Amino acid sequence: MVNVIIGLEIHVQLKTKSKIFCSCPTNYRDVEPNENLCPTCAAQPGSKPFGLNKTALDNLLKIALALNCRIRDSSIMQRKHYLYPDNPSGYQRTSKPIGAEGNLGTIRIREVHIEEDPGRYELREGTVDYNRAGIPLIEIVTEPDMRSPEDAREFLDELSAILGYLDVARDEPGSMRADANVSIDGGTRVEVKNINSFSGVVAALAYEIIRQQNVVRRGGKVIMETRHFEEASNSTTTLRKKETEEDYRYLPDPDVPPISVNRAHVAELGRKMPELPRAKAARLSKDFGIRPEDAWILVAEVEIANLFERMAKRAIPQKIALWIRGPLKKQLNYRELTLKRSGLKEEWLSELFGMFEAGEVSDKGMEQTLIALFEKKKSPKTIATEMDLLMTKDTKEIGRIIDTVVEGNPKSIADYKAGNEKALNFVVGNAIKLLKGRADSKLVRELVLKKIKEKK
Amino acid sequence: MKNPTHQPIVSAEENLHRKLSAVDKWDKEVKAFIEVYREDALKRAKAVDNRIREGKAGPLAGLVVAVKNNIAVKGKRLTCSSKMLETHRAVYNAAVVEKLIAADAIIVGSVNLDEFACGVDGTYSTLQRTKNPLDLERVPGGSSAGSGASVAAGMCDAALGSDTGGSVRCPAAFCNAFGFKPTYGAISRYGLSDLAMSLDQIGVISKDKAVMKRVFDAIRGTDPRDQTTQLADAMLRKKPAEAKVIGVPKEFFEGVDKHIAAGVKKKVKELEKHYEVREVSIPTLKYTVPIYQLTMAAEFSSAMNKYDGLRYGFTGDRNEELYSSFSKARDAALGKEIKRRIMIGTYITMKEFKDAWYSQALKAREVMKEEFASVMKDVDVLAGPAMPTGPWKFGEKMTPLEMYAADMLTIAANLTGTPAIVEPLSSDFKDGAIQFYGRHFEDDVLFGIG
Repeated sequence: MVNVIIGLEIHVQLKTKSKIFCSCPTNYRDVEPNENLCPTCAAQPGSKPFGLNKTALDNLLKIALALNCRIRDSSIMQRKHYLYPDNPSGYQRTSKPIGAEGNLGTIRIREVHIEEDPGRYELREGTVDYNRAGIPLIEIVTEPDMRSPEDAREFLDELSAILGYLDVARDEPGSMRADANVSIDGGTRVEVKNINSFSGVVAALAYEIIRQQNVVRRGGKVIMETRHFEEASNSTTTLRKKETEEDYRYLPDPDVPPISVNRAHVAELGRKMPELPRAKAARLSKDFGIRPEDAWILVAEVEIANLFERMAKRAIPQKIALWIRGPLKKQLNYRELTLKRSGLKEEWLSELFGMFEAGEVSDKGMEQTLIALFEKKKSPKTIATEMDLLMTKDTKEIGRIIDTVVEGNPKSIADYKAGNEKALNFVVGNAIKLLKGRADSKLVRELVLKKIKEKK
Repeated sequence: MKNPTHQPIVSAEENLHRKLSAVDKWDKEVKAFIEVYREDALKRAKAVDNRIREGKAGPLAGLVVAVKNNIAVKGKRLTCSSKMLETHRAVYNAAVVEKLIAADAIIVGSVNLDEFACGVDGTYSTLQRTKNPLDLERVPGGSSAGSGASVAAGMCDAALGSDTGGSVRCPAAFCNAFGFKPTYGAISRYGLSDLAMSLDQIGVISKDKAVMKRVFDAIRGTDPRDQTTQLADAMLRKKPAEAKVIGVPKEFFEGVDKHIAAGVKKKVKELEKHYEVREVSIPTLKYTVPIYQLTMAAEFSSAMNKYDGLRYGFTGDRNEELYSSFSKARDAALGKEIKRRIMIGTYITMKEFKDAWYSQALKAREVMKEEFASVMKDVDVLAGPAMPTGPWKFGEKMTPLEMYAADMLTIAANLTGTPAIVEPLSSDFKDGAIQFYGRHFEDDVLFGIG
């Protein structure tokens, strides 16, 4: 087994109304390129940063507290110098650590600091859009405590859940980015940059570990370099080889006064901290007696955890847990939706689960009702009735269909009689199909067998 | 050229005409102005006269003010006297420009400077050579060369400059005018192009001390767009202090021209009638030039990083590879002195050399601040010469080091953030000027001395 060491640097765009150092709005995805600009975020000659956005700092503090960091009393804003078209001032403002020495489970957090997002440069078109320049970002730096892509996935899943609970991050694609540092068997550390999603991190790590293993297997040496993650091919390619570390010539920014963090304010934020995923999972598992692995899946989204908690008071918790993590999550994931964004009301889900439990719909009927619920957004009972998905108690109707199926497949019946069990499944399947799932499969099977016997 | 005497303002329009005729008469030779806002100014003067008649005029009604061309005036050229910004027009007004307009001053135009305010005599302008109106063969002083020259030639009542190491006070002294560098943080720098952010401060030059004070009062105050002005408003509400004790640091007279030193000492002697005068010592003053050069160059190299030929001003070659386009644009459009400072600033902030240079300068600056604070516990103001020499002639050979040394008496005010004022000693610019330093946010005290 190869010895893998992984550390992550995670960038998260914070949820604020205005940019970090000016009053321009932050809805950079909704407007024409270069519309949300002022002299400050466009770095026009003579412009200066306004005060550090207070909401951004509060959001950072909440995240740092959730990651069990020690909060520093003060920090300073620095200038990190580099030239690139996405960077209008020639430097990026980035603070010294504000939170430090935290942890999320067994993964230690080295530090959390705040910085400004650069603009977006389209290399091929040669165009640049500075609407994003000045969106507040935080960078979370972990210690190299992860040993596999799976560790990274678990860490990032929990982190996303926390960000959702705190409601402090921009909730849209591309709002979370990461750089990963990977080495194997004590070899040279390679940095993979520009990973634009958390799922990309896992893919990039998996690729990079195999690539490094292959280099070693062929008798080569892993070299110190920065690699780029290609999302389309799930692979990494060389961005630049570095002989020495880059020199950003960090300087304290004279235009931004030191950031001072009020202890009483931090304590207040701490008191207002909601129950976080890890604690919630433990509590749900304990209070409702559900399996810990199911509890973890439920708490990934706070709305789902809340849904479970309310529904579990009226039925068997483990059954609800399985229903949520099974059929419901399957449909949400397929649509890349959270429960919050799906628009599904708790009363509908509760009603649907109740119908399923009472045997009013089959599992297929339940699934089809659920699928229709995303579009029709009304009572599942009405939907199931309209779509003719309610279980039929009409034995005559079932009998008629079974007659048709048994009569219509003499060869299968003969095969079954000759000892081929699978031939029976085919006949039963056909009957269920014709019944549109409106009858219990066990019952249909019994009735088919009865019919075959009668035919003798 | 004779000193035109200051006359009381009859009407804004009349005053403006007087100044414009001085511009027409002298500026072909003096070359103080980069742009004259003739039409706009005439329109504004008419409007201001209406407000004067209605009794609604602002505190600077009718005063004609020139603005150093590193301060943004919306829609006007903002060149910083550099090829890099030769074609650039400001897209917004600097905070001080907004305040001048709100106070009913008339902005007559923008005036020349050393490129990006880097220079002590005005000769590092890449657009034009400004001459000293008092002796056309001599330099006007820098970097606010056009500010000093336009005031001296009677082309405005006051001019705004910027002062990073003496850039307001040097041309004031060389052009025999009053010059004032306020406390760091007293005036918003929003709209002032950066030289060294922790040292830069907007200041005023005028031949009339009272006018200079009026302009300062109109443009000072807290501005949320410049966080270093946070204290300005609160400090304004403080009861103004009164100076009783003047300290004279002996280090201020080292290496100073004998004639000027004697003139300043004579003036100090006269002040003994009204103040207690003490000799004091501030040992770190010996190191002002290196501390300043390192701090300034480090910050300047950072401030200049935005000039890559991509977004405004000089346009780099779009067909070139990115980094080659950046470096060619910077090479073509920035002057020698600018490059020298960027290179020094970059070198001393590199990981390898930072501890040996930049970090040392930061520490030394803190020591200097402490020394100043300790000396100024017992004395209310400091007095000494403004410049070690008078204005030299164009073409006099000077090494960069000699040029840098000319700042030695002014830069301590920037390093410590304290206010400083310079005043002519006589009607002859050759007699030099005296300078007073005050305590933080005791700017008003300085207007009552001398």
